[in-house]
Amino acid sequence: MIKRKLSVSPFSKIYKVLLFLFVVLIIWLSFHASNIDFIELIKGLSNLSKLLKQMFPPKFGNIFKIGVLTLETIGIGFWGTILGSFFAIPLGFLCAKNTSPNRYISYLAVMIVNVLRSVPEIIYALIFVVSFGMGPLAGLISITLTTIGMLSKFIAEMTEGIDPKPVEAVKATGSKQIAIITNSVVPQILPLFIGYYLYLIDSNIRTAMSLGIIGAGGLGVELVFHMSLFHYQKFFGILVIMYIIITFIDRISQILRKGMLDGTLFRQKKTKTKEIIAASSFVTVGIVSIFFIPTNLSLFAKGGMNIVKLIPMYFPPIWVNWSNIFIRILETLAIAVSGTVFAIIIAIPLGILAARNLFHIQWIRFIVIEICNFFRSIPDLVFALIFVSAVGLGPFSGVIGLGLHTAGFLGKIYAEAIENIDLKPLEAVQATGAHFFQRIRHCIIPQIMPSFISNSLYIFDRNIRASTILGVIGAGGIGFELVANMRSFEYNRVMGLIIIILLLIIIIDRLSSYIRSKVV
Amino acid sequence: MIKINQLKKSYGSREVLCGIDLTVQNKEAIALIGPSGSGKTTLIRTINGFVVPDEGQVFIDNVLLDTNNAESLRQTRKKIGMIYQLFNLVERTSVLHNVLSGALGFMDTGISLVLSSIGMFQKEYNEKAFEILTYVGMEDRAYDRVDRLSGGQKQRVAIARALMQNPEILLADEPIANLDPKASQMILDLLNRIHRDKGIIVLTVLHDVIKVKDNFNRVVAIQNGSIVYDGLTKHLNENELSYIYEFEQSEELVFI
Repeated sequence: MIKRKLSVSPFSKIYKVLLFLFVVLIIWLSFHASNIDFIELIKGLSNLSKLLKQMFPPKFGNIFKIGVLTLETIGIGFWGTILGSFFAIPLGFLCAKNTSPNRYISYLAVMIVNVLRSVPEIIYALIFVVSFGMGPLAGLISITLTTIGMLSKFIAEMTEGIDPKPVEAVKATGSKQIAIITNSVVPQILPLFIGYYLYLIDSNIRTAMSLGIIGAGGLGVELVFHMSLFHYQKFFGILVIMYIIITFIDRISQILRKGMLDGTLFRQKKTKTKEIIAASSFVTVGIVSIFFIPTNLSLFAKGGMNIVKLIPMYFPPIWVNWSNIFIRILETLAIAVSGTVFAIIIAIPLGILAARNLFHIQWIRFIVIEICNFFRSIPDLVFALIFVSAVGLGPFSGVIGLGLHTAGFLGKIYAEAIENIDLKPLEAVQATGAHFFQRIRHCIIPQIMPSFISNSLYIFDRNIRASTILGVIGAGGIGFELVANMRSFEYNRVMGLIIIILLLIIIIDRLSSYIRSKVV
Repeated sequence: MIKINQLKKSYGSREVLCGIDLTVQNKEAIALIGPSGSGKTTLIRTINGFVVPDEGQVFIDNVLLDTNNAESLRQTRKKIGMIYQLFNLVERTSVLHNVLSGALGFMDTGISLVLSSIGMFQKEYNEKAFEILTYVGMEDRAYDRVDRLSGGQKQRVAIARALMQNPEILLADEPIANLDPKASQMILDLLNRIHRDKGIIVLTVLHDVIKVKDNFNRVVAIQNGSIVYDGLTKHLNENELSYIYEFEQSEELVFI
């Protein structure tokens, strides 16, 4: 019989305390480094309220123009995803160890995928705006490249996790590799794939909105335009439209994903009417939007030529002023930490109020969920843009931008975690005569903690990615350096910075997924 | 001693308990049987105040159970241990933490409240938890997470948690309904052993009549919210059993 450990070493308790102190120290340092200043915040808030007053009521200006831009944004997200999936599907199967023809091809494919998905979309867009010119084409290609990375990785992970028995059965018939994949692998991963695909379209349309900020087409272009001319009412009008589109797309994709999971979608006689409406409006909007993005092949060809000419200029990468780069990296990390802490502080009350099993007042829940949706639908760059004009340039605006945007995500996730609590132990502990506080401490908190930690880490991971590009609008971090070098045509330095960003993102990604695997 | 006096309870228009009278002497072990929906669970949940009766009283040691007074209810609950069909353990935490949570009612003030809130328990509680874990035969799994245990092991941990309270009464709500035959017998043996060693009242809701005959002396049968049999198990004959389970059997026939 295996001998079991009969005690926990005192080391583990000391370790926990040290870890806690370490996290507190990191947060304190990050607050310090990202210039979080409460006096500044209060001053900023009065500025902000002035700004908000100027925004009301929202004006929509030229409705026709806005309609075109809206469809352009949707087109970038929708068709970027579809274009990306043409490449991602074969690449994904090349990555997966159990479908790849051999190990070396798999390694190579995984490496390409990791690089593709680690570069933030905005950085792609910065590069492509130079060669394809301002406009939706640069945005489309940026979304395509990121989609290739994300989707390939998803397909590879799903494929590696499938049940190997049917694969062996098909192999035993002497089929070719491609037949093995289509007959035994695809049926197993299809439902999850479609769910993720819908999610990806949803999230890419969100991204397309912020790509416009650097001139890569869509509503974002108009947003920055109004901001720079101080047309705050029109600016707010665009925000309202962004919120409406995101809510619309989000609801549709939610209905379709739920139908997919319940198995009511695409089944004759079982399909619900609302699913038919959702699916058809999704497809219609998607197809219509293709007329609003350039499908002109000569533009593609010209841009392609430019790229071929430009790419050699990025090599070899060079790094100057290491100390400056180092400070910028620290600033980037500090913004991500502070932004995440800020998001957690906002998200905890939102999550508690939005949880179905704690509060039974329906209208409060409804309002809180809508607040979460609003935060989620406005890209962090846009929030940061608003705060840059309220509290000024610098990392602090970035922190608030990240915090508000991700608080929406976290609020929803926390609410779900609270809804998934098993309430049975609560009664059992109540039966022992424990009072209210003790029941919360010993029954609720242990159940929420793993999801709380792993989701907060996930958001932190995401915020690192986001904080590398906040510099694009002057909100601090390493992206600031990137844009400065881009503007002065120092492409070799840009490449150097991209490599640093890439390494940073990959390291943090590994670290956070390692910690998350330990927690759950 | 538990004394139940003319207890009535209905959910909406459905009457679940219609005037129950029951007295349980100290050191007695009783099995409560009856078809599904007859009110067994509702009855034992009135004893620790989880169900508030519409009419009638529950006396624990000749003291009226007052469900309106939260503090006195809490003090009474400390005396009554309860185990459940689905164990009701906090799955993600360790066996030891679950067992220690049984003593939370005693750590309700001062330093022990503060310490227990940061996940530290005083030495006396720790020692007692180990003592009880040894008693139920789970001491070697103390630091394992509960979700790694089998059903029978989980129920033993749940029993250990109830024993942490030093209960005078142990209520068991269908403790073996989710267990395999071997684990079921083990849990019933453990409950018998607790009854013998600690001399406390053990009130067990059961479904399986054969198990009742083998393990209990006194049996109380409930049907449609009324007590239809109260006496020694050995006097319970086939006729009475078929009468008690009449409703359920006819229901089964439909399914066959």
